[in-house]
Amino acid sequence: MAVEVIMPQMGESIFEGTVTKWLKKPGDKIERDEPLFEISTDKVDAEIPSPAAGVLKEIKVTEGQTVPIQTVVAVIDAAGTPAAGVSPAAAAPPAPGRAKTETPATPPAKAEAKPAASPAPAPAAPRPSAPPAAAPAAARGDGQRIHSSPLVRRLAKENSIDLATLTGTGAGGRISKKDILAAIAGGGAGAARAAAPPAGAQTGGPLENAVPRERIYFGSYQVQPMTTMRQKIAEHMVVSKRVSPHVYSIEEADMTRIALLRGRVKDEFEKRNEVKLTFMPFFLRACVQALRAFPTVNASADGANVVLHPEINIGIAVALDWGLIVPVVKNADEKNFLGLQRAINDLAERARTKKLKPEEVQESTFSVTNPGTYGGLMGLPVINQPNVAILGVGAIQKRPVVIDDAIAIRSMVYLTLSYDHRVVDGAIAHQFMGKVKASLEDWSEEVL
Amino acid sequence: MAEVTYLEAIRQALDEEMARDPSVVLIGEDIGVYGGAFKATEGLLARYGWERVIDTPISETAIIGAAVGMSYLGLRPVAEMQFMDFIACCFNQITNIAAKSHYRWGAPAPIVVRGPSGGGVHGGPFHSANPEMYFVHTPGLKVVCPATAHDAKGLLKSAIRDNNPVLFFEHKFLYRRAKEELPAGEYSVPIGRAAVRREGRDLTIVSYAAMMHPSLDAAGELAKEGIECEVIDLRTLLPLDRETILASVRKTNKLLVVHEDTRTGGIAGEIAAVVCEEAFGDLDGPIVRVTSPDTPVPYSPPLEEHYLPNAAGIAEAARRLAHY
Amino acid sequence: MTETSEIALKREQQLELYYYLRLNRSLEEQLARLFRQNQVVGGLFLSLGQEAISVGTAYALGPGDWIAPMIRNIGALLVRGYKPRDILTQYMARYTSPTQGKDTTSHFGDLHVRHVVSPISMLGDLIPVMVGVAMGARYLGQRNVAMTWIGDGGTSTGAFHEGLNLAAAQKAPFVLVVENNQWAYSTPVARQVPLVDLADRARAYGIASSVVDGNDVLAVYHAAKEAVEHARRGDGPFLIEAKTMRMSGHAQHDAAEYVPKEMLELWKARDPLTRFEQHLTGGGLWDARTKKALDARVEREIAEDLAFAESSPFPQPEVAEQGIYCEGCHEIAPVWQRPTEELLPPKSGVRAEWAAFAGKPAAGGNGALPGRRESAPKRKSAGRAARTKPRPKAGR
Repeated sequence: MAVEVIMPQMGESIFEGTVTKWLKKPGDKIERDEPLFEISTDKVDAEIPSPAAGVLKEIKVTEGQTVPIQTVVAVIDAAGTPAAGVSPAAAAPPAPGRAKTETPATPPAKAEAKPAASPAPAPAAPRPSAPPAAAPAAARGDGQRIHSSPLVRRLAKENSIDLATLTGTGAGGRISKKDILAAIAGGGAGAARAAAPPAGAQTGGPLENAVPRERIYFGSYQVQPMTTMRQKIAEHMVVSKRVSPHVYSIEEADMTRIALLRGRVKDEFEKRNEVKLTFMPFFLRACVQALRAFPTVNASADGANVVLHPEINIGIAVALDWGLIVPVVKNADEKNFLGLQRAINDLAERARTKKLKPEEVQESTFSVTNPGTYGGLMGLPVINQPNVAILGVGAIQKRPVVIDDAIAIRSMVYLTLSYDHRVVDGAIAHQFMGKVKASLEDWSEEVL
Repeated sequence: MAEVTYLEAIRQALDEEMARDPSVVLIGEDIGVYGGAFKATEGLLARYGWERVIDTPISETAIIGAAVGMSYLGLRPVAEMQFMDFIACCFNQITNIAAKSHYRWGAPAPIVVRGPSGGGVHGGPFHSANPEMYFVHTPGLKVVCPATAHDAKGLLKSAIRDNNPVLFFEHKFLYRRAKEELPAGEYSVPIGRAAVRREGRDLTIVSYAAMMHPSLDAAGELAKEGIECEVIDLRTLLPLDRETILASVRKTNKLLVVHEDTRTGGIAGEIAAVVCEEAFGDLDGPIVRVTSPDTPVPYSPPLEEHYLPNAAGIAEAARRLAHY
Repeated sequence: MTETSEIALKREQQLELYYYLRLNRSLEEQLARLFRQNQVVGGLFLSLGQEAISVGTAYALGPGDWIAPMIRNIGALLVRGYKPRDILTQYMARYTSPTQGKDTTSHFGDLHVRHVVSPISMLGDLIPVMVGVAMGARYLGQRNVAMTWIGDGGTSTGAFHEGLNLAAAQKAPFVLVVENNQWAYSTPVARQVPLVDLADRARAYGIASSVVDGNDVLAVYHAAKEAVEHARRGDGPFLIEAKTMRMSGHAQHDAAEYVPKEMLELWKARDPLTRFEQHLTGGGLWDARTKKALDARVEREIAEDLAFAESSPFPQPEVAEQGIYCEGCHEIAPVWQRPTEELLPPKSGVRAEWAAFAGKPAAGGNGALPGRRESAPKRKSAGRAARTKPRPKAGR
């Protein structure tokens, strides 16, 4: 019996996904739960297991295509077992029940199912066996029409939401009532502000060019369309810089004590706990203490409100071959050193293997990034919205420093805090950094 | 209590009103001795006598004219058209005399013109029509189209008591098929008020008369797919209950209108115009119509079946609109 | 001018007839002038030369009887109590008209006092309505008769046939006055109707009829009196054909050049007003002073009402959208003149049998039964004048 394979919903506010790779081709045998294809969404990339055992019969959505969630992407000829994955009838309409015989004499006005007015394509489309193809996240910046509806436009206007920032899940990719209501709910009620992306919804504004196209396309150029993740990153960066006034506080911390400690206990730690010991948990620990002392650095901004978060969820930027992702260590203040290390390693590992769950990349209150990994002395990172601060950790290097009027060689690290001056002032930022520095330099905790 | 058919409900309304008010008289062809072609007036001659149940020659113009004349004396005549198709024969009397009487010279004409309309009974082009819109287009008239036995009785009573000329379109397909228990005791249903038959959030279906039933069936089907339709029974076409329709569209943001009447000039067009004018900013999709095609009602069963809308077609249209 | 052997009208009544004739004539002459002064908004339809029919027939009715005047029956409206100002304001489209400016000519009425039903422009359609009025009056136990007029052209309509047929089948107390004025707009009677006497149509319906000289107001009065009494006592409908001539065009815009001059000359000599004046003078029923006084009264009343009409405002624009529905603005209550128990069970019950159709009248009621007809009643002819003069031939 035919089993439909559907595009899953990877998160509460994710409405579409891109098929990035088919791991099987039609005719291949497939086992239940065996990885069948890979998808990319704006939150996570993921590998999707097969809902049934049998033979892959038909692929309906090819690599690179973006479709709404619940779309049927393939069909499996299952070996008799009742399969999961019966799609709720979102995209594939059932065959019509009427025995309608089309005769030549049928008057042309037999348009029972035709809408009276049809500005956008979908309802009058021929009975689709494929789902109504949603337009890819519309490149609005180039003047393409945004399909919506009078209701959607009115609600967008009333809530100061730029429709160009939304991706539609309605027929033909139009922005539907569901989409606009989600945007309103996610973004906070009726705040008259620019479309700051709400946690969970689209992150970016339109991708603009700074110069006319002719200045870009010259010589023998080669165009590589951005992946969905790349686009999302791009949009996020643009918006974050536009919305949050970035100011930077730079500190230098003496890591010698920690470096010696780590050198001493590393092998034992790794043997005992079966987990690599890195510098990250030390930094996280220091951040937790500083964040406890300065809660506004752990907050978010909503228009004229500062939203304080009692939880301390620290996002850790992980570089991937294909981009960048920020998994979140939830409740970092409740974890001990080992717990932190485990969490960090686990998240990074699963980020690299695309096994993160959607909730693991949401709800951060502070972020940490590590430009030093690749040798950078220091970095000036972009704030990870909706946080108000991000800590950049440079490379740990031996440098000559002055201690008690003598020159010593110490392991030093540059720490930079990018902070949102709407919420955090310099005084707080510098004190925060001072606390981080002190925690690091005065490390006394036993890590074993 | 036993279930009462739509036809019997009509007969009960006539009987009860005639008992309540001696100024109510019936006039039409074969309504007395024969009890009416569909037996809507069965037994009334025996009960109320020759003066109150008047059998006429085959003269639609004279039937309506005489009814208007009698109403000028303060009587409340109920004129029967043996088939509402034949109302075309007295179009002038209805539209130029009855409809304009109060407007021009302050003389109310409290007549009721009732009769069977609609198809689905293999009646062919002259016994299956839905002529209501000619009269919805005529100011001064009221046009009523009940879909249930309960409403047939309640609305006919209201029509008889109304001071204006009321055209009462009974759907013959429902005569014996629509039945339910009726309230004991006196009740009436107000003219000009639609009824919400089923509540829903996703899509509004508006219909009337025989098409109410396949519309409700379609809504039931769609509920299984997670689409909750709000289904509205217009009950009166003129005056149209705009408020109920608009309130529903503001809630669901999608509208589908279903009628057995032909497409062009049917009430769906009027409703679409009203909704666009009054609730444009509440529409999340185009207004869709499911209607019969622009042809006379054909006779042969496969032709008539093709002609009439049905539950599957309504469900299909609603489904597409829901997913728009 | 002759009078029949029926009861002659008293002198006061004859003077009253003159008053109405004169009022009718003068009012319409005034309207013709107003039309040329651009004061009449739409078309103007005169009954010049036909006044005796309107006045004579209406004068024969009782106070509770009903009429539905056509456009050329202004005289009937005056007899029933309307004033020149009512007609003037109608034509001049003023807010003070009986329809508040919503309609024109004789398209107005009064259900409660004068018992006048407004006509519409389509011809013949008032016949079924007035048959219904007659049936309704009878049903209520009233002894009232319904009367309306129709031109020779209107007798060709389906509504004429259906209405008269129903009146006959119902034996309704209904009187129809067919004004044969020889012309239906531009079509002579001979080209419309295959009859010489339109009254012959009555035989097809099995009802009584008569032919009368429409320009002899007393003859008309007596013919109408006979017809009304026939209907009132339950003998059924009556059709009167009144022979006359339309002395002006169909309307003021119609110069009626299609009417032969000789025909007009012939009928001018029969002018109803002149003839009646001669009758009154010859019969010693009045003197010059009485006539002068009556004429002066007519002139004064018209002048007063004209002043009223000319100073009346036009309706405000809002009036256009008022009055579509009656939602409690009128109380609809029939005037019962019989006990209503007769119409409710058990008294109203009847056994529906074929026997009823064999001609046996049912118990109760007052002649409402459809029953078998006797052979068609003889057609009467009131007034010898109708027969002694040769009929004018159209188009010679």
